[in-house]
Amino acid sequence: MDIFVNLTIAGLSTGMMYYLLSSGLSLIYGLMGVLNFAHGSVFMYGAYAGVLVFGLTGSFTFGIIAAIVVGAIVGYTMERLVISRVYGQHLAQILLTTGLMLVLNELIKIPFGSNILPAFQPEALQSSWQIGEIVIVKYRIFLIIIGLVVATILNAVMAKTKLGMTVRAGVQNPEMVQVLGINIKKVFSFVFILGSALSALGGILMAPALGAINPEIGLMYQMTGFMVVVIGGMGSLTGTLFSSLLVGLASSYTAYVYPDAATAVIVIVMIVVLLIKPSGLFGKGAE
Amino acid sequence: MQQIKTVAPSVRKSLMNNWMLQIIIVVILAVIPFITGRPTQNMLILIFCMSVFAMSYDILLGYTGVISFGHAMFFGIGAYGISIYLANAKATMGNILLATLIALAVSMIISVFIGFLSLRVKNTYYAMITLAFAQVGVILAEKARHITNGYDGMTFRVSSVLMNKMLFYYIALGFLVLSFIFMWKFTTSPTGRVLVAIRENEQRAKFIGFNTLRYKIISTVVAGAMASLAGSMYAIHMRFVSTSVLGVAKTIDALLATVIGGMGNLYGAILGTGIVNFAGEYLSKLAKVHPIFERWYIIFGLLYILIVLFAPQGVIGLIKKITNKIAAKSVKR
Repeated sequence: MDIFVNLTIAGLSTGMMYYLLSSGLSLIYGLMGVLNFAHGSVFMYGAYAGVLVFGLTGSFTFGIIAAIVVGAIVGYTMERLVISRVYGQHLAQILLTTGLMLVLNELIKIPFGSNILPAFQPEALQSSWQIGEIVIVKYRIFLIIIGLVVATILNAVMAKTKLGMTVRAGVQNPEMVQVLGINIKKVFSFVFILGSALSALGGILMAPALGAINPEIGLMYQMTGFMVVVIGGMGSLTGTLFSSLLVGLASSYTAYVYPDAATAVIVIVMIVVLLIKPSGLFGKGAE
Repeated sequence: MQQIKTVAPSVRKSLMNNWMLQIIIVVILAVIPFITGRPTQNMLILIFCMSVFAMSYDILLGYTGVISFGHAMFFGIGAYGISIYLANAKATMGNILLATLIALAVSMIISVFIGFLSLRVKNTYYAMITLAFAQVGVILAEKARHITNGYDGMTFRVSSVLMNKMLFYYIALGFLVLSFIFMWKFTTSPTGRVLVAIRENEQRAKFIGFNTLRYKIISTVVAGAMASLAGSMYAIHMRFVSTSVLGVAKTIDALLATVIGGMGNLYGAILGTGIVNFAGEYLSKLAKVHPIFERWYIIFGLLYILIVLFAPQGVIGLIKKITNKIAAKSVKR
């Protein structure tokens, strides 16, 4: 029982990180149809920026802010310079974002090299509570709380504000939104910045949980992010949250029972979902 | 998707019908081993193998209009098929052939499965799902350390005939020429034309009455099979295989080569592989001059982005543009 609780907490906290990573991916794809292969790189940049600023200032809050700012800047630059030129061309989008991924992953190696950079947990969250046999790591609870807060805010923004309404309308029918006199390009930029900032936030929060970061984590977690989005259904935030937690829990349990199969389990879940409902659990019918 | 087009029909005709040029290139390549040293020969053998891999990638990217990030998996299956078989069996020609064929069959079966899973939904799914499968392939190969020796790689012996690099150079050249002819026939066959129709407008192809899923799967199977063969040749050449042959980086090499060379015409893949390999070799040597060149991959990344944005037909397209201009000028005179 105690092990089960521990694993569940670990799974939920990992799931929340996956949510931060993949919600942006899902939103960007849902609204703009852009499959962003550089998304994981932004995640990695967030991790690096956060870890560095945290190391310099000693304040984890500053680290988080730095990660979000860097993520937003990288996202905005990518969108303005490159991606905005190829809206509507799926093949070119994937090709270009792959190129951006290559360049970003190499650029980070100029100042930092390809070796690992150790990442620490903030002191206040280093300890853990013990209730009987159950050990609750404070940092994991912190991750779950942040994830829930972000998910709630994101859902509220999407459901309640005019901007969120525009974004949801844009997912449904971008042409109609434009016909109604809304500058959809601006909405695109906003969503791209938002998605990138979320991804970078995921990066800095994930870094202490990993213990160390390197330039490869971008592509590694991007792959998981893709699978989460495929399972949950492209463009659905609820689906992304659900499948993030599902994937987090599934990999946490299997990692305990049979560590070698942790990644394979996610792939198997994805295969099953694709066979039964190709558009994902919460996706709209197959196109 | 229609924005990315191959070389215009008129250009294509003049380029493709130029059999003289092709024969001249092959003759030059056939003479090269007599005038260059061992390193250049080895480099060229590598380029021949990787060109076939890049051409098979072009069938997916340039002809069918789908992007795979797991294409290296088939390359890796071909390579591991040879290495595992020869590490445990006698290195006779018969065994090598058998190992190649087994790897080929496995690649084809897996490509049907992945194609069916992902291409039913949307072409963009293929990119994500192949990435996931490639990662699983790497993990499997890493976990099976007792067979593959993981990232450190495994060495093995091949039959002494194939150790003769001079002879193997011609085998590799022959392999490149035959593969080119096969894929050329495939892409110009009715099936290949349907693939181009799917790339240009899948909905229209569907409405005309083609079962587009079936054609897309055929394309992935042919590409997977050719990649597997390229992997087998690569393994015989290197006599060493590590898990890096399965990784995403290998696929991205083919992607870079195909896009830089020019997609949608098999020549581009060959030219691109040559450019990427020779330039990579040259640039990494420059690392001694200035450490910035250690990160030469950035240059390729930027070049690649510029090509996708401004010259979607790649270097081949640029060459054609220039020669066409010169030809037009000479006509005026």
